[in-house]
Amino acid sequence: MEYIIKNGTVYDPTNKVDGEKMDICIKDGRVVEKVSNNAIVLDANNKIIMPGGVDSHSHIAGAKVNTGRTLRPEDSKKDVWHKEGLRKGSGFSVPSTYKTGYQYSGMGYTTVIEAAMPPLIARHTHEEFVDLPQIDKAAMPLFGNNWMVLEYLKNGDLNMCAAYVAWLLKATRGFAIKIVNPGGTEAWGWGKNVHGLDDEIPYFGITPRDVVRGLAQVNEMLGLPHSIHVHPNNLGHPGNWETTLDTMDCVKDIKAKPKHGKRDTVYYNTHVQFHSYGGTSWKDCVSKGVEVAEYVNKHDHLMVDIGQITLDETTTMTADGPMEYDLHMTNGLKWANCDVELETGSGVVPFIYSPKGPVYSLQWAIGLDLFLHANSDKVILTTDHPNAGPFIRYPRVIAWLISEEYRKDWIENRVHKWAAQKSHITDTDREYTMYEIAKITRANTSKVLGLSDDRGHLGLGARADLAIYDIDPEEKSGKKIEKAFLEANYVFKNGDIVVKDGNVVKEVFGNTIYVDAKINEELEAELMKDLEPRFKKYYSVNIENYPVQEAYANQWEPINIDATEIK
Amino acid sequence: MKEIVFTVKKDIDVPVELDSLLPVKLQEMSVEEIKKIELPQGNKKISVEELFNVNVNENEAITTPKVTINDSSMKLKRIGEKMEAGEIVVNGDAGMYVGAEMKSGKITVNGNAECWVAQNLKGGEVIINGDAKDYVGSAYRGDWRGMSGGKITINGNAGTEIGEYMKKGLIVVNGNCKIMPGVHQNGGIIIINGEVEGRAGGEMLKGAIVINGPLKSKLPSFEYEGIVEDPVIKLTKKDEGTPIKGTYYKYIGDFVSNKPKGQLYLSVEHNDLTC
Ligand SMILES: [Zn+2]
Repeated sequence: MEYIIKNGTVYDPTNKVDGEKMDICIKDGRVVEKVSNNAIVLDANNKIIMPGGVDSHSHIAGAKVNTGRTLRPEDSKKDVWHKEGLRKGSGFSVPSTYKTGYQYSGMGYTTVIEAAMPPLIARHTHEEFVDLPQIDKAAMPLFGNNWMVLEYLKNGDLNMCAAYVAWLLKATRGFAIKIVNPGGTEAWGWGKNVHGLDDEIPYFGITPRDVVRGLAQVNEMLGLPHSIHVHPNNLGHPGNWETTLDTMDCVKDIKAKPKHGKRDTVYYNTHVQFHSYGGTSWKDCVSKGVEVAEYVNKHDHLMVDIGQITLDETTTMTADGPMEYDLHMTNGLKWANCDVELETGSGVVPFIYSPKGPVYSLQWAIGLDLFLHANSDKVILTTDHPNAGPFIRYPRVIAWLISEEYRKDWIENRVHKWAAQKSHITDTDREYTMYEIAKITRANTSKVLGLSDDRGHLGLGARADLAIYDIDPEEKSGKKIEKAFLEANYVFKNGDIVVKDGNVVKEVFGNTIYVDAKINEELEAELMKDLEPRFKKYYSVNIENYPVQEAYANQWEPINIDATEIK
Repeated sequence: MKEIVFTVKKDIDVPVELDSLLPVKLQEMSVEEIKKIELPQGNKKISVEELFNVNVNENEAITTPKVTINDSSMKLKRIGEKMEAGEIVVNGDAGMYVGAEMKSGKITVNGNAECWVAQNLKGGEVIINGDAKDYVGSAYRGDWRGMSGGKITINGNAGTEIGEYMKKGLIVVNGNCKIMPGVHQNGGIIIINGEVEGRAGGEMLKGAIVINGPLKSKLPSFEYEGIVEDPVIKLTKKDEGTPIKGTYYKYIGDFVSNKPKGQLYLSVEHNDLTC
């Protein structure tokens, strides 16, 4: 099918296109220079065009998402999806698979990364991916509390650690190295936690610093498309901003050497909002969003996503088990907790971020502090779905960023006064432009993930993933902005129209992207000598049954990496 | 005002949902329109006229919008769900979720009721003249925000877990009750005039349970306070109090949680301290 989209106002930061009126031609699923006379013409006059959205951090599939659904039938009741011709679904903060795909698609997103996959249960994540339509997806296996990783790092054996990481990525069809509360989830197995970057991890005797640095080095030795993707220690605790800066700083001497993609960063700090708290308790807690943003602006080795609080009732879920226990003790609501043998753990707790609550309003403001004081080349829009709020609130976050007037309305009329008192959100009148919105939802994410060769932009040869929004680039009405970004006028996936006027009109099943890093045969043999007896001794599954099989995707999209030089 | 009378005219195999037949809404509709209303039945729909004979009584004696369902059975679900005003009389049995999430008005069932009577009731009154099954006045599954007002009366017996997560309002059971009345109760009052199988007030934090018959086994995590005569139950500081007639052993619980304020009253006549 050929299309020509005429006269749209295009925002494509990767190619430095800032609001230019132009035509976009699509043929065979790619953006091309020109099309034949048979092309279907679409008039996008007075509408804006962006590449398809790329979400670098969301929780959309797998064990803990499903635990959230099971734990919360009341969340299912809150939002029922029933549209003619589509699969029914339910769930507000933990939607079912089809609903997740449809709603992301309706907002113009075409690629979404599941940000935490327990390796042992990878098959479950991929099973859900198979039933998750409209988008391409990938999942990041958890490495920061894995026994093998901890032991190789304890022995200072980076080569074996790299071999193991490569093997596990392939075995789980994983995409990148995810680190959650390094050492802390393992400590939780002993009823403990780690707090600072230099606390000792029980039994292994190394520290979170060793884990973060070690895995960052391994990441660059392998040349993976994405950097290490880190949720540092002390999430959600007043005073944690120092740990956050320590963690960011501990890898700044490491150089980015991706063998695929164009990233120049070696560190990705996720949901940095949860890690930018000053003070010593919730009573004297203040925003350190500006300080953290300043660090991010000044350093080239990192990028951050925000994890913006949306002030909704939601479901928190993370591999940071001890943190979820703390949350459960704070709000007294139900709690699910799990240990994944040898690898990681997790917890799930419902949470109500009431706009009337002083602490929640401050958390909301800290996210905005980060957005408003950071260089838009270095931040990414996320809500850490569903942790700080469901992804269907992205359009509202965009409205807060674009319109100072709308933001002010919330500060003055909707949220607790702590938001303004204990943060710097009222110090600035900054308003994001459409160009910047395209950066924090498309260009930055695709680049940092190593996927910008053909995603997140509209240059010639790019995948024809794009969204047309019916909105004036100068619009300042929060409601109008939210509606436009929630219900895209048109969405193309691989050159097909999949959404029209916010409704899914075509069901497609995307690719599952994973990294296949080839390692030296001798090194792999050595790894197997090490791994096989460990599986026999510690795991409840055989090593032969561990890898995710070929059948577990609609279509695999491997990223091939040659790391055979590691010996 | 009008009384709309629905009389079941055929055997029902798959349950039908009646939440669209609310008294106020039907007042404004013609009989022909009412007959055309589609009701969910499993994965299909059935029209009102396929299922019911519909009659309308219009006279001055009827002072509130009213619906009457004759020859009703357990296959008719969600009667009066989300009702905001008016009256429903059910002659026969009522299926699951009768009066669920009702805000105001009155429902009388002259028969038995299935599970989930008046789930998450907000206001108004629900009377079951026969027996009711489990989860009378409970919260929606998984939720911790239960019934927040109104009154439920069960003149027969009730099943397990009545008043689960109840926050406000009153539940009266004139017959017996199975296990765990007032489980997770967080306010409101439950009065049971018959016998209770056991575990009354499990994990309750606030509110009160009055048992005028025997409680066959009391949870050990309740603390004995003493004997009280004609107590006035106060649930909050501002509460004027609800007077109860009788002599009771009073307990506080459930001490599986920190600082619980739940009150449990067991009639001295039918219980003893060693139970
Ligand atoms: Zn996350």
